[in-house]
Amino acid sequence: MPQSKRILNLAVSMGEELLKNGGEIYRVQETVSRVMEAYGVWDYHVFVVTNGIFATIHEQGDDAGSMVRDVPLGDINLEKVAKINQLSREICQGRCSLDEADERLKQCQDAAKVRDSVLVLACGIESAGFCYLLGGTPFDSVFSFLLGLLLQAFLVAGANRAVSKFLLNILGSALVTAGSLMLYALGMGVHSDRIIIGGIIVLMPGVALVTAIRDLFNGDYLSGGIRLMDALLTGICIAVGVGAAVKLFQLLGGGALPL
Amino acid sequence: MIVQIVVAVISTLAFAVLFHVPRQEYLYCAVNGGLGWVVYKLCLGYGFSVTMSSLWATLTLTLVARVLSALRKMPSTVFLLAGIFTLVPGSGVYYTAYYLIMNEIPKSSAKGIETFKIACAIVLGIIFGLALPQGWFNRLGRLTDRKERAGKT
Repeated sequence: MPQSKRILNLAVSMGEELLKNGGEIYRVQETVSRVMEAYGVWDYHVFVVTNGIFATIHEQGDDAGSMVRDVPLGDINLEKVAKINQLSREICQGRCSLDEADERLKQCQDAAKVRDSVLVLACGIESAGFCYLLGGTPFDSVFSFLLGLLLQAFLVAGANRAVSKFLLNILGSALVTAGSLMLYALGMGVHSDRIIIGGIIVLMPGVALVTAIRDLFNGDYLSGGIRLMDALLTGICIAVGVGAAVKLFQLLGGGALPL
Repeated sequence: MIVQIVVAVISTLAFAVLFHVPRQEYLYCAVNGGLGWVVYKLCLGYGFSVTMSSLWATLTLTLVARVLSALRKMPSTVFLLAGIFTLVPGSGVYYTAYYLIMNEIPKSSAKGIETFKIACAIVLGIIFGLALPQGWFNRLGRLTDRKERAGKT
């Protein structure tokens, strides 16, 4: 591969890794530009949206190159963002040759993930915490904790089978709701609405909504629009899951709920 | 109040794990999240609206995240994304959609507008926080550099 193509590939791959793992649009754009400039490429164009990167270099020259990457919306992994950021900083300081940078990028892509069991536990704690912060009693939090564990275990199992994200959201929230309503029906004296909210807090697109509006304020209207759509659709899916479970409960004779 | 802060810290910590924050930064993220919640509650206590309280809390969070990012040599997103999680209106999006499909349109639109306002306030807080010149924070970062070098020699 000629040198310029290699530089382009490295820069765009780093950008892709950042974007996939939750880096902001302007950070991706800046990183790609800086890496190219650090290796002496000045004639380039980069365009980043939420789910894709487009880049060209030396448009008029003989060694012209272009690259397009499709980057589906994925899970946030801030460790990888931090690592790529560190790599780009070192490249800018001229402390990293091309070979070394390729190697480091590869290491970063294969970095070990947090174990699933830890994720499940974290999700349970999260649910319990939010159930309390949003007005539940400690007693409610205990059940929220259990439902949070259940939900994350379900999500992990679903992620391994490549099920559609929206289907996972609908089924996951329905699962939590069903669990909470069952407790209510058993007469445990719980606030089922608080438990539901705590239980499904990991699914909620709060961070996505804020990121979307941040992109809009940065002038990245296309990226912001994509994220906004994603946040709204996710919200609707969760509500459909909860709503379906509640309706079913009412049809089965559970009566009106204090939701 | 104390219990609330502790719960907020623990929730942020759990969230940092879910977001795969580098392990050595867990504690800083958690403290940042707790701080955001304290400011939020204090503002509410002084009679600010939810929107304004979110703005002040996020502004504080963002500034602390930038200081931490300079000191710890990490991108500010790491502290920011985990920290704002207690404030973002995730439940608002859910309620909006829930009322919508339950055919309670007035409630849905009221909730939707409130959610949008809070989200905008949070974004403004972040933008104001990020608007301060990077040079100030770099100076902080250099301070720790000097300390590290002194420690090594």
